[in-house]
Amino acid sequence: MSELNLLIAGRAGQGLQVISRTLGRMLVRAGYHVFVSQDVMSRIRGGHNFARVRVSSEPVAADGDKVQVLAALDPALVERHVPDLSEDAVVVTEAASDLPEGVNSIVIPLEDLAREHGGDPVTANAAAVGALMALVGLEPAGLDEMFESEFGRKGEDVVRRNVAAARAGYQAVAEDHKRCCPHRLSPAPGLGQDAGAKAGTVPGREDAAAIRYSPRFRGHVPGRLLVSGAEALALGAIAANVRVVTGYPMSPATPIVEYCSRHAQEAGLIVEQTEDEVSAANLAIGAAFAGERAMVCTAGGGFCLMNEALSLAGMTETPLVLCVGMRPGPATGMATRTAQADVLFSIYAGHGEFPRAVLAPADATQAFQAAQEAFRIADKYQTPVIILFDQFMGDALWTVERESLRVTNDQAPMTNDQGGLKPYSYRRYEVGAGGVSPMLAPGTPEQLIYADSDEHMEEGHITESAAMRVLMVNKRNAKLAGMRAEVEVKAKVEVKVEAKEEAETLVFCFGSARGVVAEAVTRLRGKGRKVAMVHLKHVWPFPREAIGSITGKGRKVVTVEQNYTGQLARLLLQECGLSAAGTVRRYDGRPFTVAEVEAGLGRLITDERAKAGA
Amino acid sequence: MAEDKAWTSSAEITWCPGCGNFGILTALRQALAASGLSPWQVVVVGGIGQSGKVSQYVGANFLHGLHGRALPSALGVKLANPELAVIAVGGDGDMYGEGGNHLLSAFRRNPDIVCLAHNNGVYGLTKGQAAPTSTLAFTGKYPGAGTHSPPFNPLAVGLAMGGSFIARGFAGDVKHLSRLIGDALEHKGFGFIDILQPCVTYNHVNTAEWYRKRVYDLALESHDPSDEDAARARILEWPAEGDEVEIPIGVFYRSRRPAYETCGRAEARTSSAERRSADPASVVKKALEEFR
Repeated sequence: MSELNLLIAGRAGQGLQVISRTLGRMLVRAGYHVFVSQDVMSRIRGGHNFARVRVSSEPVAADGDKVQVLAALDPALVERHVPDLSEDAVVVTEAASDLPEGVNSIVIPLEDLAREHGGDPVTANAAAVGALMALVGLEPAGLDEMFESEFGRKGEDVVRRNVAAARAGYQAVAEDHKRCCPHRLSPAPGLGQDAGAKAGTVPGREDAAAIRYSPRFRGHVPGRLLVSGAEALALGAIAANVRVVTGYPMSPATPIVEYCSRHAQEAGLIVEQTEDEVSAANLAIGAAFAGERAMVCTAGGGFCLMNEALSLAGMTETPLVLCVGMRPGPATGMATRTAQADVLFSIYAGHGEFPRAVLAPADATQAFQAAQEAFRIADKYQTPVIILFDQFMGDALWTVERESLRVTNDQAPMTNDQGGLKPYSYRRYEVGAGGVSPMLAPGTPEQLIYADSDEHMEEGHITESAAMRVLMVNKRNAKLAGMRAEVEVKAKVEVKVEAKEEAETLVFCFGSARGVVAEAVTRLRGKGRKVAMVHLKHVWPFPREAIGSITGKGRKVVTVEQNYTGQLARLLLQECGLSAAGTVRRYDGRPFTVAEVEAGLGRLITDERAKAGA
Repeated sequence: MAEDKAWTSSAEITWCPGCGNFGILTALRQALAASGLSPWQVVVVGGIGQSGKVSQYVGANFLHGLHGRALPSALGVKLANPELAVIAVGGDGDMYGEGGNHLLSAFRRNPDIVCLAHNNGVYGLTKGQAAPTSTLAFTGKYPGAGTHSPPFNPLAVGLAMGGSFIARGFAGDVKHLSRLIGDALEHKGFGFIDILQPCVTYNHVNTAEWYRKRVYDLALESHDPSDEDAARARILEWPAEGDEVEIPIGVFYRSRRPAYETCGRAEARTSSAERRSADPASVVKKALEEFR
């Protein structure tokens, strides 16, 4: 695998996301695999934000180790990233002054170029895109189309200015090679060669140390896309025929609602920004009661506010999908950063006892499937379903094979088919096998549909009968058995594939930790460690039997999770009686790095005191 | 067993004898019977309290939800299926206390929903605490249960928020109230009715007799509901201190504003049936072009 790592740093408001997204998409079009992570402060202007762009000949789902190209829109930010740089790294920046010693710099007056060619200093980010494309050896073909897709909504003029600035940035690097190829710059290792492209050299710098310019651009690779986790969740919901999407703006869930809002018209969505989270959840319950698929988008704090409504969905047996984005708490915590600390909360949220499912997709591909799966489960069992994601996963851009985004289309839309019911005889909570009653929506001619927050009788009216209470508690909670059976069947296949036969240590993780853990485990196996990863994308009902079938045999169990208390380790103990030998944890709001997970797992594996799970 | 016929319910009514809710329930049933709607075309969304139980007793579809949250759920029902007639029912604690934010938004949004706020100036189901509409004279069932704040004026708030149908009824005048509810049902927008209601058990200040002596019908005073200034003046007549106050009932203000679910929202006008015929796979396929 050959790869190149770029880091683009700047101030909030300088359009860093545009740079990483457009550059990433150009690279994906050219046939590479790309992974982009976003590190953003909770402020609108200023500060220090950055995006990491990893380009590889092979699939990548985590940040790379060291950075080969740093683009700093503000030279003052370079110093902070010196520890991230590889020895041969090159730094693209505005001015040479104030740069730390020993840094290979390419000085490009991005703002001047932006002013001159883009007619506005704000297009400096587009100039940076062009400069970086030239640096990594992409041809500018397709730039127009890319900026059309990025800025088309803002009008022709904006597109034109950005394209002009990007071209100027490109020329500044590509033509003035003397300035842009400092002595220590080495070629991007193998980049593009795997893709069958012919490596070129810079005129006048034919020596091996010169950066390799085009022609590497292979034209568009049609099957590959660059999609954020949040966008994938929204698209998955659209694929599942969602009709009503609600939310109150809160990072990291806002991009889901934004995407839905932008596509409301063509997808036939009703997108409501409500007055608060309580309204968002209760509105969605009303819509789902009325027969439409409804989804609520929020973060941990907003989810707290929705807990009573979650309980209402449980009691009224209303299908409801909630996308809950995890960020470091408690309370406001770190608003724009990442965590995996709400998994136990999601499983137990809401007063009273009622079944729910909790899904934890790892990446954009899994998010797309999870959203469809969530609606399927919610409809089938008439329960709330929580999709847990986090800031890292939601904001990151993932390379996705288009064919892997399958629209399963397995929803059975609620019909008003009464199946020979006598007029006014429908019973919403009729007790039957598995706890699930036939569901009709209000507006069904000559039937009345009652949904009741109070304990109720089979038709739905309030009751305080002890016998009826027991009947209804049993009915509601019976649904968990069906949900569990489905999860076990799926998980059995998944964990078998991942828990390689010879592994002596099983590394459990859930949600967005998958990419990092998978790479760390691959590295450890390369070093002869007998280790395998088990990633859980269904965390509730917990697949206890599937896990039980692969543990034991003296296998050591460890977890990797982004929280302080080891919540997944607790679940393994509670549900499977497994005592984890240790947990690799991180809770500073930043995503795991492969290197730290590898090191952490290495320590746990060799630690004699960390005995095999009981 | 469900044995509902037109505007009757098999549910056992659990209110105190003499409760103002009986008058409101009767008025609502009369208005619905006169509306020409069938029970299956109507959804009543109830809050929690004695008032919210109306949702179970009317004999229509119901979603008996959470305390304070009838309005958001009602909006969800209306957005999902605009063909349904939607009525949100709650008490003063529901609509003015716990759910105050939703009421503000409902006035501003103007969805085609009827909102009945049972206002008895006291919390009944929790046994006699002060409500947002309790007067300063209200002392409550036990010391400290009274209010030390002036009463909430929902109609003034509604007018300030751009409400399009602002009315007050009296549970003791069923004929008047049922006409008022009928008007709110016909109104294309947020039909808000604050309903004065005695609480025979816990409110010994604002009794049925107390109200009966003070209420007067705006319609008999040649009040013009399209005149915002006149509406404001009438709205500010009550709540007020003193024993000589008079309390206007009827429609204070009415304006024509597009209903929320129909204004500038092409996607909302797509009916459920049309939408179901659309293939989500083709929508996604097109959307994915953006990510190349």
